[in-house]
Amino acid sequence: MANPFSLLAPALVPSWNFFDVIAASPRVEYALADTRDAALDAWTEFRPRPQRLSPVAILGRLVWNARWNESLYLVSCAERLVEEPTAHGEDEIFRRIAADLAARSDAPRWLSFRLLFVDPTGEREVLYQAAPRLRADIDIR
Amino acid sequence: MSFDHALRLTEVLLALALIQQSLEHLRVFRRERLLFGARILLCGLVVTGLASPWPLVGLAGLSLLVLQRFQGPYNGGSDRLGLLALWCLMLARVLPVDQWRELAFGYLGVQLMLSYFISGWVKIVNPDWRNGLALRQVFAFSAYPVAEGLRGWADRPRLLLVMSWAVMLFELAFPLTLLSQPSLMVGLVVAATFHLANACLFGLNRFFWTWLAAYPAILWLQQRLF
Repeated sequence: MANPFSLLAPALVPSWNFFDVIAASPRVEYALADTRDAALDAWTEFRPRPQRLSPVAILGRLVWNARWNESLYLVSCAERLVEEPTAHGEDEIFRRIAADLAARSDAPRWLSFRLLFVDPTGEREVLYQAAPRLRADIDIR
Repeated sequence: MSFDHALRLTEVLLALALIQQSLEHLRVFRRERLLFGARILLCGLVVTGLASPWPLVGLAGLSLLVLQRFQGPYNGGSDRLGLLALWCLMLARVLPVDQWRELAFGYLGVQLMLSYFISGWVKIVNPDWRNGLALRQVFAFSAYPVAEGLRGWADRPRLLLVMSWAVMLFELAFPLTLLSQPSLMVGLVVAATFHLANACLFGLNRFFWTWLAAYPAILWLQQRLF
């Protein structure tokens, strides 16, 4: 775990290089299974964006945009996980997927996720796949 | 705008922006509720002006716990400016010498100016931004468009070329708006409109509120320098 002062430093001396390069973009996909060793072939995109948003919804998101901001945080986690895998990044993604699935008590018990990166040419490549975890073991408190 | 007025306005606006962000964290996880509940409490004290400057000191300390919790800023650039503003405000309140306090607050204004200028510079040196391809890629495959329907904008290359150049030229020209108070006001209105567009198209609502919160710092800096 990085110490907080090293995480604060880039904020106090910022680089401001927003969108300087448009890099490959991650999508988080998850799969459920009944056993740990089951083949994972039915991947579902986590929180796919809607086809359209009404103007009222767009303006409403100016003051309440919790799920979208959480999805952007998962994009950061995904990018960090591919650059330098850490338990923290994997835990954060598992926790948020499991929290969304918590209401589905009838869903299979094992959960995995993978990170699919879409590059500027439209090519898709899986750069990370997490080992399955029991949903009941994931801390969603 | 006097130093004290600008400082007070910035801290109130930042506290309100942080309250808005913190409320979003109260939704699901208990550990986040503790951190962000405490942040809302401290922000409330900042807004009311009670026990100044200790709520700002507390918020700066809490920001380290939040950074530790997420192993970095939760929402990239917007949280970075929020952190910068918070630490500058805290220093501008606690430093013992007036010039040091002005320096801390002025640093926020300078960084705000640089946030536009450097963003414009790193884009204009990239050929993909100059020919509109980069913005097409943002709409076509990046994680940012808030609806699938917006991806269709990638098929409007002329519009995106115009938008790319409008953004780059505005960002690069922003420092010139500091030459007078009216030109800076116009620049900030355009900049706020730009952030509003980003909030609507890409869901970057935190940028909108955080950048707005820092505007009094650059308004004060302009008066101080020119």
